[in-house]
Amino acid sequence: MKIPRLLQAVGVIVGIYAGFVLVFDYLLGQVIPSSLLSMYMFFVIAGVFMVYTFTEESARELVAPIKALVEDPSKKRIRNVVFILIPLLVAGFTYQRMSPSFEAPVELRSIHPAPPATVKAYGKRYDLATLKNPFRKYEKAKPEKFRELVREGGDIYIQNCQYCHGDKLDGRGPYAAGLNPTPLNFQDVGTIAQLQESFLFWRIATGGPGLPKEAAPWISSMPVWQDFLTEEEIWKVILFLYDYTGRRPRSWEHE
Amino acid sequence: MRTLLAIAAALLVVTNVWAKPGDVDMGKAVYDQRCIWCHGVEGDGDSAATEWLNPPPRDFSSAQYKIKTTGFDDIVPNDEDIYRMIAKGMPGTAMPGWDDILSEQEIWDLTAYIKTFGGLEEETPSQQVDYGTPVPSSPESIARGQELFLDGERCSECHGEDGKGDSIKGLKDDNGERTWPRNLTKPWTFRGSNDSKDIYSRISVGIPGTQMPSFADPTSKKKLSTEERWHIANYVQSLAKIDEVVRAENTVVKADKLEGDLPAAVDDPRWQQTEASTFFLIPQMIGEERFFKPSNDTITVRALYSDNEIALLLEWDDRTRSIPGDEKAEKISDPEIAEDAVAIQLPIHIPDGMEKPYFGMGDAANTVNIWHWASGTTEKPESVALLNSRGFGEIERREPAQVRIQATGRYEKGTWRVLMKRPLLTSPADQDIQFLEGEFIPIAFAAWDGSNSETGSRHTLTTWYWLLLKPASGNKPLITALLMAFLIAGLLFWWARGASSPKERSQDGNG
Repeated sequence: MKIPRLLQAVGVIVGIYAGFVLVFDYLLGQVIPSSLLSMYMFFVIAGVFMVYTFTEESARELVAPIKALVEDPSKKRIRNVVFILIPLLVAGFTYQRMSPSFEAPVELRSIHPAPPATVKAYGKRYDLATLKNPFRKYEKAKPEKFRELVREGGDIYIQNCQYCHGDKLDGRGPYAAGLNPTPLNFQDVGTIAQLQESFLFWRIATGGPGLPKEAAPWISSMPVWQDFLTEEEIWKVILFLYDYTGRRPRSWEHE
Repeated sequence: MRTLLAIAAALLVVTNVWAKPGDVDMGKAVYDQRCIWCHGVEGDGDSAATEWLNPPPRDFSSAQYKIKTTGFDDIVPNDEDIYRMIAKGMPGTAMPGWDDILSEQEIWDLTAYIKTFGGLEEETPSQQVDYGTPVPSSPESIARGQELFLDGERCSECHGEDGKGDSIKGLKDDNGERTWPRNLTKPWTFRGSNDSKDIYSRISVGIPGTQMPSFADPTSKKKLSTEERWHIANYVQSLAKIDEVVRAENTVVKADKLEGDLPAAVDDPRWQQTEASTFFLIPQMIGEERFFKPSNDTITVRALYSDNEIALLLEWDDRTRSIPGDEKAEKISDPEIAEDAVAIQLPIHIPDGMEKPYFGMGDAANTVNIWHWASGTTEKPESVALLNSRGFGEIERREPAQVRIQATGRYEKGTWRVLMKRPLLTSPADQDIQFLEGEFIPIAFAAWDGSNSETGSRHTLTTWYWLLLKPASGNKPLITALLMAFLIAGLLFWWARGASSPKERSQDGNG
């Protein structure tokens, strides 16, 4: 049986739409933004329309069922149904669009803001471009001492940081769900692996309130750790973060 | 495709078969990397974390496992019990599920290694939980379960009449650690999940090392048949307060508008018609004296407003009513007992842009209002305080009557409900938030359990959420929608008419 061309065209459009949703939302797990989807579908519909109306005959064939619906007296009943349904759909859509949604305002904040050139902490000024982890050198020079420092860093982490960043360093500690913004996931390749150790020192020592405005310091729950930990303790925790996740800090030097 | 699937299925079967016997040495390697931080190098639960965690990390050298499915008088757990705790973790504790970063084999290896701490490597369990014939949940089964739950205070003795764990008993585990009966209305805190089969297992085995007994024990006065245990499991599962579960996407407390006066009592039926928003309470770990062992975990908020007033209803489960000076309350409290309390935090101005006051009591440039209600002592009644804060150290006490803040609370069966009210506008307007319809106003909450040594900076809190006085949307959307419908319908009929009239058709054809 030959499928009417109008049905074919609608089928193609719906199929492509379902394909987008299937691939992005389900297979890739990345929900496709509705604005992007609308744009794609605009081109899809335009394309399908062009293909199906390429010749005059094909165009006539495409609109034939619509014409028949409007003109053919034998289709009176179905015409009445369609003519009631369409205005209702339009009304429903308009109503939904115009009703206020009460959704929370979107807050855009920078997750990795650009670090300042210098940082004040522990009553001193640090130059972030040259600041180094004083313990990093032991990794090659004295591996045993290094292991010990990592171990000490782990103990500091578990006493202070796991509540939010988690035992697995995945940002899903026992209280993480109560925080907004959510704690950083150190296992993710996009976090500490992209940063220098001096950046981490800055973020830990001065905490949420030390963030620049574009990063919304007023909502960050990161404590100001210079109030609770010594400088050395912060450096040891940083060793632990990289060691446990198997990531390497970013560095200017070529290794 | 089909062959691929078959191979994958075959692989799954194969891995399952050889995965089970764990390798102790491999397990030790994983343990030393992942587990020592809390459970200690020796597996005795002695680590840097021990005194900071509630509950403390398990001491494997005790050979005692709380969540197991072997017979109630059999100390040996099934390997699957240990495997499951590692793979899925224990909700409501610091133990996460590890199955996302450890392989199945690694978890079996760990299981084998952990058993060596308590000398269980050669032991096999002699009995299993008898599940009898599972009874599916039904209104009849739940009703029967409730009867058995309350009968002779079988379960309510500790878990309370409504299952909120609020019975007034100072329970201690075998190590002398204070323990609390589970609040059965919060299934996401059940250590071994709220699946009815898991609840059945807990009822049958008890929780070794704690005062939760086995109800399968034939020598127990409160013993239950397998069928009766299923009824109780179904009842316990039915207690879950589904409407008061935290929904992460809900960040807005929406206040509905009422005509006339707002409710003056916490049990006014009109509260039940409003939408409830529930948020996690987390311990205050940010400034001053940090706090790590909270007892309150969520707070539920409802709001209503009228032409001139706003009222908020705050509701949270607290197992103990903390009344300083009351002998009974002090006996079950951790010293030093203090009043229970709750607070609302609001900026003094609705923010223009994105910037808000620091969520921890404001900052130098951005002052917050704090409305703080305290439950009272034997000497003084409940009270409300008004604070303007610009950070931890910069708190100004003000007179709440000046802006007509009122607060009243009631404690009932393990739940506090506190109602706070204020006129929408104050004069002068520069020291207090002015509530305007349709504006998103930042709002945060804090709670204190006075029986859990919570005073001052030791308390639980939320981060910023939003309060919205829902504007009456009017009938503009409805009118526009109707207009659109008529317009489209008109066009359609005009078209149909034109098309079916032969005269017009011929004209169209000529044109």
